[in-house]
Amino acid sequence: DATRGSSDCEPCPCPAGATCAVVPSTREVVCTNCPTGTTGKRCELCDDGFFGDPLGQSGPVRSCRACKCSDNIDPNAVGNCDRETGECLKCIYNTDGFFCDRCKDGFYGNAMAGSAADKCNACSCSAFGTVGRQTGCSQVTGQCECLPNVAERDCGACQPGFFNLQSASGCERCNCNPIGSTN
Amino acid sequence: TRPDVNPLPQGTHLLFAQSGRIDHIPLEGYDMKKDGAKAVLHLPEKVIIGVAYDCVEKMVYWTEITSPSISKASIQGGEPTAVIRSDLDSPEGIAIDHLGRTMFWTDSVRDHIEVASLDGSQRRVIIDSDLVNPRAIITDPPNGNLYWADWNRDAPKIETSYMDGSNRRVLVKDDLGLPNGLTYDSQSSLLCWADAGTHKMECTHPGQGDRRMVMEGLQYPFGITSFGKNIYYTDWRRDAVVAVDRHSGKESDEFQPQKRTKIYGIATAYAQCPSGQNYCAVN
Repeated sequence: DATRGSSDCEPCPCPAGATCAVVPSTREVVCTNCPTGTTGKRCELCDDGFFGDPLGQSGPVRSCRACKCSDNIDPNAVGNCDRETGECLKCIYNTDGFFCDRCKDGFYGNAMAGSAADKCNACSCSAFGTVGRQTGCSQVTGQCECLPNVAERDCGACQPGFFNLQSASGCERCNCNPIGSTN
Repeated sequence: TRPDVNPLPQGTHLLFAQSGRIDHIPLEGYDMKKDGAKAVLHLPEKVIIGVAYDCVEKMVYWTEITSPSISKASIQGGEPTAVIRSDLDSPEGIAIDHLGRTMFWTDSVRDHIEVASLDGSQRRVIIDSDLVNPRAIITDPPNGNLYWADWNRDAPKIETSYMDGSNRRVLVKDDLGLPNGLTYDSQSSLLCWADAGTHKMECTHPGQGDRRMVMEGLQYPFGITSFGKNIYYTDWRRDAVVAVDRHSGKESDEFQPQKRTKIYGIATAYAQCPSGQNYCAVN
């Protein structure tokens, strides 16, 4: 408070170059001009779209860097990642995970593939051929969990020599007479 | 001066959000009085996206995404107060119906549009289908219309409905890229938008279906607001507020705050409310 005539001015508790001010109601000191890319009461946070720990408040100093989300975020979106941990919050192209690095539930493929079409596709498991009518599949191969004697990635067909996928309890053997059948 | 709340002097101002603060620029006529620009509110831990102004109670409203909430504060100096703090994921655009005393907002994760009274009560979802990346939202209180934009890269569109969500229609869907900003000028009945994909600013009279370009070659528009003959937009590439004369289609001025970081929402804080009565009050 320089108005009192005493020299009780203290340096701002802010990184070099930043200014500060006192909130009258709480007497709290707040930095008002944080260095580029940082924000917060003490310039301890990264701007939206960046993550890090610029003052090293919870470990070593990590300067602010752009969200790292495997190219699976949209630059026109806001709040793409957690400003401290970098956890990706707005994965697109049906991806999920801390770095948008895997397919979300119900999808399979390679989240890191170059083009959107090659990334994650819907499992689309057959409702009749899948155990418990599950909608999930193997993240990598896309194989749905098939009922007995059911085939194909999506469990959408009976194995050769079997029929009645519609029963939703697995396919039944055809039991054709080998003498009377053509093959 | 206190860093959290600075009272605004009389007159019309622009309010805009930049990295944990809401700043204002006084307008002198249509010119930005850049020397008078300063912070209205400091919220250093927040990421403020949308800004709206209630001309009746002279309150600024904003959306915030770090601990998703909607808050308000008097621009004449008042403590920030949260009005909505639950069941939000990514609230972005916000608009005030100063006649009906309600607010509308978009949520880009829940993909819906909600309405509530200005105190946060009587909250209701009014649009919950066919939205992918809803962002800008604008009201036309005298006529009871709502306008919003969806920047879905596969099918961007600008839509309208009544203020209860009924009579929903697509107004524009062709030749759009990333329509981030939307503004409605009640005097000219013009709905204008700024597109970060086509890099154009365009307008339409919503009732007539016409369409005309104001300006092309914008860099990266985010928010937009109108005042008389001017349109002001925030630019993510230039970290600036840019003034455009709607008639000449030319950029007339720009304001670049000292802090170099993205500027999000922008709103006009009118000295007086625009004339007009509640559409529902007529009948």
